[in-house]
Amino acid sequence: MVSKRFVLKRLLMLIPVLFGVATVVFAILHLSPGDPAVVIAGERASQEFVNQVRSDLGLDDPLWQQYIRFLGEVVTFDFGQSYQVNRGTPVSQILTDRLPITIELALLGQFAGLLFGLPLGILSAVKQDTWTDHLTRIGALSGISVPIYWSGPLLILLFAQFLGLLPTSGRIGSEYFVEPVTGLILVDTLLAGNIAAFQSAAIHLLLPVVVLGIYQMALLSRMMRSSMVEVLRQDYMRTARAKGQGSKITVMKHGLRNAFIPVITVIGIQFGSLLGGAVLTETVFEINGIGTLLVDAINRSDYPVVQGTVLVFAVLYTLVNLGVDLTYSVLDPRIEQ
Amino acid sequence: MSTETQTGTVDRSIAERLRASPFLSQLLSNRLAITGIVIIVAIVLVAIYARLTYDLSELMATQFGTNPAESPPSSEYLFGTDGQARNIFPRVMYGAWYAVLYGTVTVIASTFLGVSLGIVAAYYGDLTDNVIMRTMDVLLSFPSLLLALALVTIFPEELGLWRAVGALTLVYTPRFARVVRGAALKVLEDEYTDATKALGATDPRLLVRHVLPNCLAPITVQSTLNYGLAIIDIAALSFLGFGASPGEPTWGMMLSNGVEFGLFSGAWWWSFFPGLLLALTVLGFNLLGDGMRDALDPRMRETVD
Repeated sequence: MVSKRFVLKRLLMLIPVLFGVATVVFAILHLSPGDPAVVIAGERASQEFVNQVRSDLGLDDPLWQQYIRFLGEVVTFDFGQSYQVNRGTPVSQILTDRLPITIELALLGQFAGLLFGLPLGILSAVKQDTWTDHLTRIGALSGISVPIYWSGPLLILLFAQFLGLLPTSGRIGSEYFVEPVTGLILVDTLLAGNIAAFQSAAIHLLLPVVVLGIYQMALLSRMMRSSMVEVLRQDYMRTARAKGQGSKITVMKHGLRNAFIPVITVIGIQFGSLLGGAVLTETVFEINGIGTLLVDAINRSDYPVVQGTVLVFAVLYTLVNLGVDLTYSVLDPRIEQ
Repeated sequence: MSTETQTGTVDRSIAERLRASPFLSQLLSNRLAITGIVIIVAIVLVAIYARLTYDLSELMATQFGTNPAESPPSSEYLFGTDGQARNIFPRVMYGAWYAVLYGTVTVIASTFLGVSLGIVAAYYGDLTDNVIMRTMDVLLSFPSLLLALALVTIFPEELGLWRAVGALTLVYTPRFARVVRGAALKVLEDEYTDATKALGATDPRLLVRHVLPNCLAPITVQSTLNYGLAIIDIAALSFLGFGASPGEPTWGMMLSNGVEFGLFSGAWWWSFFPGLLLALTVLGFNLLGDGMRDALDPRMRETVD
């Protein structure tokens, strides 16, 4: 078991990091050359009106006052109102609407990556230096070298345009409307008991998940292979075989558990690339997650949305890594020291 | 004058070190790494050739009247033509120059910054170490592409693709700082650093002449792996609309335009070839980086990020 002290310590260590993250976000937005007051007032607004907007927003206050106010907003999860999306919608509202969409995509991509990546990595390690191994490794290396924004459109072209098997973009057929409960479309369609809608959503998600999953699969199979190769070399593996256990049982019983430990850390570290991949995937497949939200917000100088989105991404990433660290210490209690 | 001799000696000692260590011989016996080197050399040659042969303004200008628009690959237009009737083949070749140039600047800048910060943190320890490394930790708490997206906005738009270079340099720096700090701490424990200090070496001399050369192996591996990442990320930023200006023959921009305007009207070649070259280049750097990591320490296989 993880000791309470360890969990508490890790949670306390989170505070300065999140404080730093908020500071970086604040700094980035204040270093940007654009003027939010002009964005809100519009390009053709009079100087007087722009000044009015600026003082309404408190943008002419001293920087330290703005900073303190910003930290207060972050703590209360109130990022103000969007300049653009239905002008005046609270950013927190937009984020809660859009976040589940990205999370659903990322989780499915991660799941697909695990489902295929781990067995491939194990296979590669057990058959080390054979053709199976070489092919798997080259495949994995190609998988991480091919950009999502190239493989995605090509797969759309093949499966949607030429073969007509799958839809080109979106999350669900336009004929379906499902009341958002969790925001996860696969769950919501099931909750509504609408099987046809569920199928439509599943078909729409298939290609994005494949594209995102290929990258994760490639990464994970590489990690799993190296970790497994390392474990197979250990003395306890030789002992287990010497005791007369069949090599398959040895691998399954003693090898896997130990080989998984470093892979779990890697899943945490790679969660960042998963989120980056999700942004690109959303753009390619025109999915309205927070990835496309961020790209649009930057293009429209919608600073409150940029602020909120980047913060949410960073917090998500940090929390996942905290979770991974804690899992890790459950599997390998030595880590607490 | 004195700096010249100094770098000369450093170079020689690196060469000797490489010969003495099994690193190079092991790397050169790795067929995948050799494949990577061949790909990289080929791309660099294409880049230089394109830079010397083609006129950039001509590649950027629309060619209506001269060429047919969206014409499929043929013997005349090897990779076809795009929506502005531009011949895609020379543009893709020129894209190699962009990728190599901007990728190199990104990697050199982030290596330089990261190595300096890492070594300084390791050597001075205490407060300096804490301030530098906690800042790096904060930067590492952002998913890298998203941090790059946010950072791109702080650079004025006129900088074009250099915005992407600036943003990605800041994103990659912490990785180098972390790797180098770890390596430098190990070197600083060794007795010869004490000996050098006892002989009266100044801090900069100790760090540049003695600590840095002994950290070169992990730095090189990290740089190589980051090279592929830099090229793919610069293209990703261009694809998302941050970086190259319209018409510029970068792979990311061609891909973005090709997908947006050509793919579903049937002009697949418009985005296919830039993407192919991009993937091939990145694969080259990943093959080489992998081989280097294996040669450096077989037990380290695939654990450095």
